[in-house]
Amino acid sequence: MNFLKSLETSASGLYAQRKRMDIIASNLANIETTRTEKGGPYRRKMVVMRTKEVDQDFDEMFNSSVKGVQIEDIVEDQTPFKKVYNPSHPDADSDGYLHKPNVDLIVETTNMLMAKRAFEANIAAIKATRQMVIKALEIGR
Amino acid sequence: MPDKISFGKTFYALEKAISIAQKRNAVITSNISNLDTPGYKSKDINFKSELARALETNHKTDLERTDPRHISMQMNGDQMIEPYEEQGEWNGYNWADIDSEMTKLTENNLVYRTAVEALLRKMNLLKEVIREGGR
Repeated sequence: MNFLKSLETSASGLYAQRKRMDIIASNLANIETTRTEKGGPYRRKMVVMRTKEVDQDFDEMFNSSVKGVQIEDIVEDQTPFKKVYNPSHPDADSDGYLHKPNVDLIVETTNMLMAKRAFEANIAAIKATRQMVIKALEIGR
Repeated sequence: MPDKISFGKTFYALEKAISIAQKRNAVITSNISNLDTPGYKSKDINFKSELARALETNHKTDLERTDPRHISMQMNGDQMIEPYEEQGEWNGYNWADIDSEMTKLTENNLVYRTAVEALLRKMNLLKEVIREGGR
């Protein structure tokens, strides 16, 4: 049934956006973190998305153009850290500057809104598909 | 394909419309889930031309059958519907646009529901004939 593919595609979109939200939450939570396992301040993380085959069988040529989405990679933002003059901080360098994570509150908030909207768009798609399935079940009644 | 005498072309046309709308739904859903995929190009199906094509092939390319029980080519006659890549605008990230996708989704949903509703009404007419004809 083709509708299941639609639903699976939307579900993959929901999953990807939720993962994106996780990463944004992690960025926001670590906005002041100056110590990490790797040493140095926390680096902002980003998700990279990629199309995903919804199903593996090749029963129809058509299927190959319907793609789900998946998170391919989580990469670190390589922009320089913010430098704040704070000589009393234990992690400050010899010049008295503290390196703070390259997380920007505005950027994260904007990304959060975008993830939220994209999530809602997928929900709307699921609702539309659901309505279509319900309508199809009325045939022959 | 439904029997021509009792059902006519309407059923076939509606069946095709429903099937095309269903596929278009899958394509649009795919676009929506890939809104954040870098370099993604959104795809679409041209409903009108696909329907016209389906109705055309219906009369031309069916196999010659010597017995009605032979399998017709139209039985699983979903002709290949090839989505085309849309001429979208580059937004610095990919070619997908949430507003146009949501509009298409809603529009397609309405088309689908209209087709099913038309099918239902057509069947109600038949039912009416069957019920009243015996009286």
